[in-house]
Amino acid sequence: MLILSRKTSESIVIDGRIHVKIVRVEGEVVKIGIEAPSDVPVHRLEVYEEIQRNNQQALVRPAASLPKLLTPKNKPTAAPVLKGIKS
Amino acid sequence: MGLLGFEKLKDYLLIANPAEEPFGWLKAEGDTSIAFVVLNPFLIVPDYQPDIPEADVEFLGLTNVDDAMVLNIVTVHKGGQATMNLKGPIVINRNTGMGKQVVIANGADYSVQHPLLVSEGAA
Repeated sequence: MLILSRKTSESIVIDGRIHVKIVRVEGEVVKIGIEAPSDVPVHRLEVYEEIQRNNQQALVRPAASLPKLLTPKNKPTAAPVLKGIKS
Repeated sequence: MGLLGFEKLKDYLLIANPAEEPFGWLKAEGDTSIAFVVLNPFLIVPDYQPDIPEADVEFLGLTNVDDAMVLNIVTVHKGGQATMNLKGPIVINRNTGMGKQVVIANGADYSVQHPLLVSEGAA
């Protein structure tokens, strides 16, 4: 692993297009600012791994049979919240 | 289109078989071993409110809430129990067909294994 020393407000650049900036250091917490193109997904590792594990577990054989859902079908009323767009 | 852990697979087919409703299938194009069961989450959790980060909204080219189709991956466990991942929904732009698995900003409020009520002994 490459290890670099940086001070607050200093940055590193990856591949000329991903900027990682040390915004603030508060005790054991480091605030990091990341600027990356929208096709570069950025995730907290533990959240990424949790969802990745769940995806692996959810992988099914195309011929698998489906469970019978008992939950009454609700009329979908809720909607996602799109950041930056008024619903 | 991309799922976490399956980044190399970009093309999927969304298949809805009337006999299997409300479940649908997300099948990787060109790799028959990769398939996921998906479900409209709002049928199960009417107050589900996934908060889609701005970077994902931009990436998907969404300009209107009605253009966003939300589907969540279902895990069918041994013994027939089933859960749904509410933390990482798949969001698809209905107009372009472009989609991705989004890590929602309010993921801490939701589980990756939200239990579904299913009849005993199924699956």
